[in-house]
Amino acid sequence: MSTHTLSFSNRLNRDFGTISFLSNLECSGCNTKYSHKQIHTFCPLCQSPLVARYNLDAARQKLDRDEMARRAKGMWRWHELLPVLNPENQVSLGEGDTALLHLPRIGNSLGLSHLYVKEESSNPTGSFKARGLASAISKAKELGIKKVIIPTAGNAGGAMAAYAARAGLRAHIFMPKDTPFANIEESRIAGAEVVLVDGLISEAAGLSGEKARTEGWFDLSTFKEPYRMEGKKVMGFELAEAFGWELPDVIVYPTGGGTGLVGMWKAFNELEALGWLKNTKRPRMVAVQADGCAPVVKAFQEKALFCDFWLGAHTLASGLRVPKSFADHLILHDLYESNGIAVAVSDEAILEAQSEMATQEGIFAAPEGAATLTAIKELLKIDWIQPDEKVVLFNTGSGLKYLNYHS
Amino acid sequence: MGHKILCIEDNPDNMTLLKRVLESRGYTLVEARNGLDGVAKAESEDVKLVLLDINLPDIDGYEVAHRLRASANPNVATIPIIAITANALKGDAEKALSAGCNLYMSKPINLQELWARVETFVKK
Repeated sequence: MSTHTLSFSNRLNRDFGTISFLSNLECSGCNTKYSHKQIHTFCPLCQSPLVARYNLDAARQKLDRDEMARRAKGMWRWHELLPVLNPENQVSLGEGDTALLHLPRIGNSLGLSHLYVKEESSNPTGSFKARGLASAISKAKELGIKKVIIPTAGNAGGAMAAYAARAGLRAHIFMPKDTPFANIEESRIAGAEVVLVDGLISEAAGLSGEKARTEGWFDLSTFKEPYRMEGKKVMGFELAEAFGWELPDVIVYPTGGGTGLVGMWKAFNELEALGWLKNTKRPRMVAVQADGCAPVVKAFQEKALFCDFWLGAHTLASGLRVPKSFADHLILHDLYESNGIAVAVSDEAILEAQSEMATQEGIFAAPEGAATLTAIKELLKIDWIQPDEKVVLFNTGSGLKYLNYHS
Repeated sequence: MGHKILCIEDNPDNMTLLKRVLESRGYTLVEARNGLDGVAKAESEDVKLVLLDINLPDIDGYEVAHRLRASANPNVATIPIIAITANALKGDAEKALSAGCNLYMSKPINLQELWARVETFVKK
């Protein structure tokens, strides 16, 4: 932590006793409030995800938006709006503050003058999962948790293993047996116990939930604990800051579990409550899925509030092989509220887009990230995006994790 | 009294949770702790919906669904069934649907969703 941040933290400590304005947890379904000083998973009353809430009125009085930019780079410069109370519990490998890159060549070819990509592959362990797991592992450490478990479609396992190692926690991972080799090996080399499952992340989730219940592991499944989303929401803070506190018009996000999409929408709500945004304009959120596993797209088209379990899920974009997110209703809510849309794309188109991003812009994107480029081509066909709009794609990870698709 | 919903579930904690939730919405919960009892109660009680755990101590949920669909009573043979499982294995969802279940849900079940799903099958 920088000297500057430390001095600010000390000032905040005198007033509040912590470096965070975290106030409580709240159920996203029934609004029941819970203490953040106790270990929680999801709401025991209605089994909906819990969401971290902050004293934003106090934060608005104390925080200076522009000071954030002067702090040492990284996710934790937003610590007042993150859930860790004591800086000694922040577990960091240098996550956050990824590049926002203009895509001039692809933009020109598509007639988009303001096309960008948020390049999340520069995070530790090569994907956006580092953000959520940095936050969740840090909070687990703060709450005295000693062993953590996770089901994963790929990158979350590697990130969880790395941050657990950094924090000195035991880690156990269930992942589909056809998960990219890099994800399996990066998890094992970080010391995690890895079990390969003959099935999808939904089957892995069942097994990890059972092991958590019977053996006392803390389950870090997507949205089954409240803090992964807090790390992911910082992507929204960074975007707002990068665009001069005026949000882009369209955010195109590959959607498996949906933590990032829901987290960014939460970030925009918090920024608005803090009075940090120049205006009330919100981006239209686009959820991108593979046509071999598109539960959110189907539900969106049916104007449903929940997704049906997707049967026979298959796609090379392993992060998108999520037959049903635990937070499907939150994803759909945010899509509807943002006047957004959900788009399904084929694996063939994803591979073409991956090649295009590499040859035209030098970005070797993960298939999930490449899917976002495919999606905007579909949206341009129906004039859903206008040429002068600011459009941000999310490349959620490095293509280097998926080399087996190119061999 | 509201419509009857049959819950075939061997875990008492899950049964208590479902009972609380559904009775708070005006439904009457008929309880069965194993598959055979569940089939019997589906035949003897006028239930509008079955919540069916797949992992049961005697016959499994797939077999329960098969037996209900094969019932000579047309009301039982066509009764909506929501399959629920905690420990999903590969192909569980497909097996549940091919056994005759109308919908597959994996635990933990978001109770807001359960209400919504129940109400699509059972018009109060």
